[in-house]
Amino acid sequence: MERIVQGMSITEVLKTVRGADGYYVTNTARDMSQSDYKNRILLHTDLLAAKSREEAGYFSLEITGGASVHVDILRKQVDPFLKLELLRERMPNTMFQTLCRGINLFGYRPYPQNVIRFVVKEFAKYVDVWRVFDFMNHVPNMQAVFEEVQQAGKILEPTVCFSTGPEHTNDFYVKKVSDILDVTGNEIVLCIKNHGGLGTPKRIGDLVDAILQKYPDMVIHYHGHNTDGNDVGRIVAAALAGAKIVDASDHAFTGYYGPPPILSVVHTLKDHGLKAVGLNEEAVVETSEVLRPERKYYEYFESQFKGFDPTVQIHKLPGGAMGSSFEQAVKGKFLDKMPKILHKELPEVQKELGNYWSVTPGSQILWTTAVSNVQTGDRYSNCSGDLKNLLLGKYGPFPFYQPPDWIYEKAFGPDWKKILEEEGGMDEIEDIDLDQERKNLEDKLGYKPTEQQLVTYLQHPNDAVNFFKFEEKFGKVYVLPPSIFFRRGGFKLGETFSFRDHNGKEHVIEIGPMQESEDGTETNVYLNIDHHQRHFVFENEAPGGGEAKAIKLSKREISDLAKAGDVRAPFSANICEISVKPGQEIKVGDKLVMLEAMKMQTPVNSEVAGVVEAVVAAVGDAVHPGDELVKVTLG
Amino acid sequence: MKKKILIANRGEIALRIIRAVQELGYVAVAIYETPDKDALHIRVADEAIWIGDGPRSDYLSIEKVIAAVKKSGAHAIHPGYGFLAENPDFAKACEDNGIVFIGPSSDVIEALGNKVTARRIMAEAGIPMVPGTQNLSAGDAGIQEAVEFADKYGYPVMLKATAGGGGRGIRRVENEAQLRAEIPVARSEAKSAFNNDAVFLEKVVINPKHIEVQILADKAGNTVHLGSRDCSIQRRNQKLVEIAPSLIQDQKLVDEICDTAVRAAKAANYFNAGTVEFLVDKDWKYYFMEINTRVQVEHTVTEMVTGIDIVRTQIKLALGKNLSFSQKDVQIRGFAVEMRINAEDPQNNFMPEGGKTVSVYRSPGGYGVRLDGFVYQGFTIPEVYDSLLVKMTVHGFSWNETVDRLKRCLKNYVITGPKTTIPFYLNLVADPDFKKGDFDTSFIETHPQLIEYDEQGSEGNMLARLIAEIHYKKENPYAI
Repeated sequence: MERIVQGMSITEVLKTVRGADGYYVTNTARDMSQSDYKNRILLHTDLLAAKSREEAGYFSLEITGGASVHVDILRKQVDPFLKLELLRERMPNTMFQTLCRGINLFGYRPYPQNVIRFVVKEFAKYVDVWRVFDFMNHVPNMQAVFEEVQQAGKILEPTVCFSTGPEHTNDFYVKKVSDILDVTGNEIVLCIKNHGGLGTPKRIGDLVDAILQKYPDMVIHYHGHNTDGNDVGRIVAAALAGAKIVDASDHAFTGYYGPPPILSVVHTLKDHGLKAVGLNEEAVVETSEVLRPERKYYEYFESQFKGFDPTVQIHKLPGGAMGSSFEQAVKGKFLDKMPKILHKELPEVQKELGNYWSVTPGSQILWTTAVSNVQTGDRYSNCSGDLKNLLLGKYGPFPFYQPPDWIYEKAFGPDWKKILEEEGGMDEIEDIDLDQERKNLEDKLGYKPTEQQLVTYLQHPNDAVNFFKFEEKFGKVYVLPPSIFFRRGGFKLGETFSFRDHNGKEHVIEIGPMQESEDGTETNVYLNIDHHQRHFVFENEAPGGGEAKAIKLSKREISDLAKAGDVRAPFSANICEISVKPGQEIKVGDKLVMLEAMKMQTPVNSEVAGVVEAVVAAVGDAVHPGDELVKVTLG
Repeated sequence: MKKKILIANRGEIALRIIRAVQELGYVAVAIYETPDKDALHIRVADEAIWIGDGPRSDYLSIEKVIAAVKKSGAHAIHPGYGFLAENPDFAKACEDNGIVFIGPSSDVIEALGNKVTARRIMAEAGIPMVPGTQNLSAGDAGIQEAVEFADKYGYPVMLKATAGGGGRGIRRVENEAQLRAEIPVARSEAKSAFNNDAVFLEKVVINPKHIEVQILADKAGNTVHLGSRDCSIQRRNQKLVEIAPSLIQDQKLVDEICDTAVRAAKAANYFNAGTVEFLVDKDWKYYFMEINTRVQVEHTVTEMVTGIDIVRTQIKLALGKNLSFSQKDVQIRGFAVEMRINAEDPQNNFMPEGGKTVSVYRSPGGYGVRLDGFVYQGFTIPEVYDSLLVKMTVHGFSWNETVDRLKRCLKNYVITGPKTTIPFYLNLVADPDFKKGDFDTSFIETHPQLIEYDEQGSEGNMLARLIAEIHYKKENPYAI
């Protein structure tokens, strides 16, 4: 069996890869989405591609992790676990791969140990290959994840982050590999993570060779980005030097900052006599045929600036940050300063801050510092909390050298030495009470959360709650194609689309007219849903400076007010009797007002004891829900 | 000249009667108050006469209705239900003006409409009855009489408007303090609704079944019944769902109740269509409650299972014809259920949803389905009248078939704008006790889960809501 199949033991996988005549391919769909589409490629699209990706025979499909877990709930409104379940149904044989930021998991700051272990345990039920890295290449930062992955019996892929510069020698990296193996043992896949797409093909080939010189049996997985347009070259060099697994993705969606096309790699290596083991090229082609028509719906999320950027060798921004950096420059109106930021300031800051690896969350610290330095004109005058933590060693020790004293002085003032002495070094992050967190989430949701919901909540508390509430309101929206989900400018009148919902029911929706109410406060959107017309009311935003709109009270708010002595009409009715006078003492249950609606008289009784402060309504008044009736001062 | 018949009513019953009048080849004359200016009965009638701005006061005005009859040259009046239907003064005014009143004579209406007199007549005829008081005296004396009666027979007691009917003007009272408080309210409500503030008290039969019998009687003294109906599913004493025939297993008991109903009608010298109402308790004892001297809202279920057009028969009887069939010709076939689809929010204590516009109206159809309604897409439901939008009556050969059909029809019913009782009924038809036919008047109270539903809940609707928002905001605010 040449093909790697989900469910094989680690030993079997490693044995198969080591013994294979050729190399394997990982389809890094997640990294492509993150680097070239701001992470927006929808589950809908991945489901379309699932069948042919399953047939393609990859080593793995990288489909979760990195920033995608957060963006899934924040911008795609899809449960990261449901995503994996649905893909697994359609792709039983393909191993799923994740990218995990070690102690920072799928986020930007260190998590407590028990959270890390809990999160990894839950995701390990779906994820077969765990690529784990730390932007400081600080092995202890990855240890908890290493242990949990191995505990779960999944394939561990510890990572050396790669960069260039005088300190970044092959000896350094070989030593780093040995530090890792001390912790993990030899039954691993080793990843060389070239998130910036740095170095030449020769350099990468040399590095692979250097590692294999010392560890001839090592299964090396090369990961790169195509920012400079030359990652095919690096991949080819890595494979020729003996890397057994390489990363690339589907050509229909390849852009500038993510992975290069699979087939370009495969064809080049074929001419060198190296075979892509288990790969079904027709299925790779078929995947892109399926995906090609979808690409136009993602145009909005592609980088503002298109084209390869060989200057990445200077500024070293990771491919995953290229698109968002340009987006920030446009939104922050400093696009004109980008050449200065990218070619002068960022390389300078990198050097000053220790020449560590520009990848999450370290790359964000470098980028924001460089932007702030250029924007303020006074370098390091405006240090972020994250930069201060970095300087204090909270993310781990600097790999090569400590930043110069003057930066510490800028960041912490004249007493910086004392501060560094007292506060420096990594903090022991205390475990949190998971049962308490489970209860907190239950309080927020109003029902018992699942363990998966808790995992999502622990990583991104507010965004997770918002997402769960979104699902309560809108259902499972992954069934909507990007042509609907990302539509800009509204739909056309009469536009019709059909889709199958999560439960399997087919729906047809036709766009009807959109009308503003006569007073302009509301807009009605008419839709034909499964041949039944429905309308949805949206409150128009009040024009700037306009008077506040009448507030509509919910039943619950009306009832809450009543308990506070502010008695409001519970429904539309006429007042046929007022039973109390101002100044009158009343008890709980005393009748205050008699309402009449559609022939029925209904008393409004006091929910409180006290003195009637004012009678706002009068007999004969037509009242609407929430209108004031009587005010009672609580006694 | 063709005979004209004026329909002194509104809403679905006006349409029901107009249809019968037109089928008989007569001219149907509608009347309306201003809030009903867009109502369907005006459109369907051959003629329509505006009687005032109302609301309700003109439909309740004998003078205005009689004037309309004269203006139109109508020969007869059908009063429908509610409004003037059981007002003896109205029947009397018709009699005095030489107008045919389609219903019993004013004397009979008066005697039976006064529940106290009715009880006396029935007692004399040996009809079983629930203990009760005479009309309560005015003021505090009446309250004292009520308290004494309740002390003797025990709480709870029913406080009833003597001139009430159709479940209106009835209150259940649990204790003395409540009794003292409720009597003035009941009087005021009775005064406003029936123009008669007399009230009386009855012992409460705990959680009875509400069983009633449809009666038809001609002037020659032929009285037949059209079988039983079960109207136990009520809230606040207002019927919601009615079933013909009753699901009581003991056929002998049902037959006995029906025969008793005929005896009761005869004892009252009853003429035309009427309904004899009974309560049946846990020990299968039954008690006479009242005779309604009008066509009932729920007459449709009896029509479906007997094939007899009750309104048509009413008109023919009133115009002097005798019954064309005898008791043995009346055959009950299958089951029929009527659900009152009201503009009400079951989740907000069935509060009326008047004033709202029906933005979408899509009704079910097909085999065994009958709709008696008056709403249409674009219709704004007047706030000043009752909340009944449409009566959905479904007929099936067996009880199970009937329930299956109900479920199908409810699922296919689409009314948007006002909230309606449809989602509540969808829960009802799925309820195991309902499916078993096991219910009494406490059914809704003891099945609070019936109001647990999420109207927007279907996956299709939820997704559509997002699509609507993407459309309105010109981008997906949850994706940017």
